[in-house]
Amino acid sequence: MANPSPSDHLESTSIELDKSAIVAFASRFDPQPYHLDADAADQSIFGGLCASGWHIAALATRLVIETLIDNGLPFVEMTAVSQLKWSRPTFVNEQISVRVTLGTSDEESPIANTRSQTLEIEICTGNSAVVATMTATAAIAIEPALAALT
Amino acid sequence: MTDLYLRDRWFEDLPVGEFHVFGSHTFSELEIVEFAETFDPRPESTDPDQARLNHRQGLIASPWLVTAMWMRKMVDYMEVYAQGVNDGRRNGAGVSISDLQWLEPVRPGHTLTYTYEIIAKPDRVIREKWGLIRSRNEAFNQYGNKVMQFEIDILAERRPQESDDLQQQ
Repeated sequence: MANPSPSDHLESTSIELDKSAIVAFASRFDPQPYHLDADAADQSIFGGLCASGWHIAALATRLVIETLIDNGLPFVEMTAVSQLKWSRPTFVNEQISVRVTLGTSDEESPIANTRSQTLEIEICTGNSAVVATMTATAAIAIEPALAALT
Repeated sequence: MTDLYLRDRWFEDLPVGEFHVFGSHTFSELEIVEFAETFDPRPESTDPDQARLNHRQGLIASPWLVTAMWMRKMVDYMEVYAQGVNDGRRNGAGVSISDLQWLEPVRPGHTLTYTYEIIAKPDRVIREKWGLIRSRNEAFNQYGNKVMQFEIDILAERRPQESDDLQQQ
């Protein structure tokens, strides 16, 4: 497949977030009542059991990686997020997908043999409601890793 | 000791310049691989042998593992001082982050120390009862090098008006 051009909108597949995944992530990284316990969550600012915002960011990044690679962009690593805004909680059994718009490309990159690509990312639920937006920079390979050539 | 009850304080009680060291964590190869299996299941991120051939020439922690561990260290740290405030009522959810940078790779066996400093209290009232606490957060490795930084806006509950206080008594 030909490389996508700037302003193309790339759509990912979706991942469903069930209760066990939400609780497992939160138990490990964000053990607060509104991510762990349905009754406590009902009384909280979110109004129901919902995923940690960091869980959403990490899952969205997985979808970004898969989407870029599927579109011929050899993703290496995410290096920065200039802005991430959570606009709405993600509740049990909601689906997450991302829409990626390619921004500017820069030859300067902190990782050898890569370039920097900015990405505008909308994180959506199955019914297309935006739950978060993220502006990120990814390192994209311009040459295979050196070790792979030896 | 009341001033140590971090989660028991109102927005108005949290001073710009307050600084905390949340603690340290050593990343194992197993937890790096387990996180990647869910969030970046490429062989060069999950398989130590394949990872030797990647652009980092070895296994490194997923950037979001490095950042999610900040959250865990913060929750643990705050819980120590929570003193019965179990619902997070006065110190709530994150709203947005900015200037998140992963500056150096974190490899198996590396130990990061996480720090937090309140840098601003933006002049906003959200849903009538919340204020925003902006902090700068950093992680340093065992060599003293900064490997991650970001700023985050977190909700903190504003002190109720006097009339509310009277009703509660």
